[in-house]
Amino acid sequence: MSTNDTRRRSTQQWAVPGFAVAAGIAYLIAGIAGDEIGFGIFGFALMLTVAVGVLAVRRRSETVQGLLDRRDERIVQIDLKATAFAGSVVIAAVLIAFIVEIARGNDGSPYTALGAIGGVAYLASVIWNRVRG
Amino acid sequence: MRNRVRALRQERGLSQATLAVALGVSRQTINSIETGRYLPSLPLALAIARHFDLIVEEIFDVDE
Repeated sequence: MSTNDTRRRSTQQWAVPGFAVAAGIAYLIAGIAGDEIGFGIFGFALMLTVAVGVLAVRRRSETVQGLLDRRDERIVQIDLKATAFAGSVVIAAVLIAFIVEIARGNDGSPYTALGAIGGVAYLASVIWNRVRG
Repeated sequence: MRNRVRALRQERGLSQATLAVALGVSRQTINSIETGRYLPSLPLALAIARHFDLIVEEIFDVDE
């Protein structure tokens, strides 16, 4: 393994905890901006707990460690399958919610936009991966 | 697909954890390969073969 690979994987280990902390800070800022300080503090504390929890569990769990450093090809595949499944569930929920909104006589928002984003993202991903070969 | 990874590992007195470290994967992955639940990628299959000083065909074979 090259030094660059080692450095990249070492950096990747912090991606999930870093994202959790960043999301927590965003919740805090949004809570303060929207005069919902309780929500902001709760959201920040929750995401901070997630970040600390992930870092604590990684030493005991090969799976969590693998999800963080993305070194193990099998765990990377598991992550891709789980992400695809979660994405499918979200898309199904958006479509169902859109249909319910239309049936209620509404314009379907915000599910129209969410469904469009999902469709465009899927097409863009297919084209990108097709071009890359 | 069947393979001889478990037999080769045991012949050499290696634990799953030791082989996992040598190949840069998790112990769970070695176990999944040995039990046939996971089919390794070509790079990993080559790494396994090189580790045992064999060629891929001597370790992995298609069930017929």
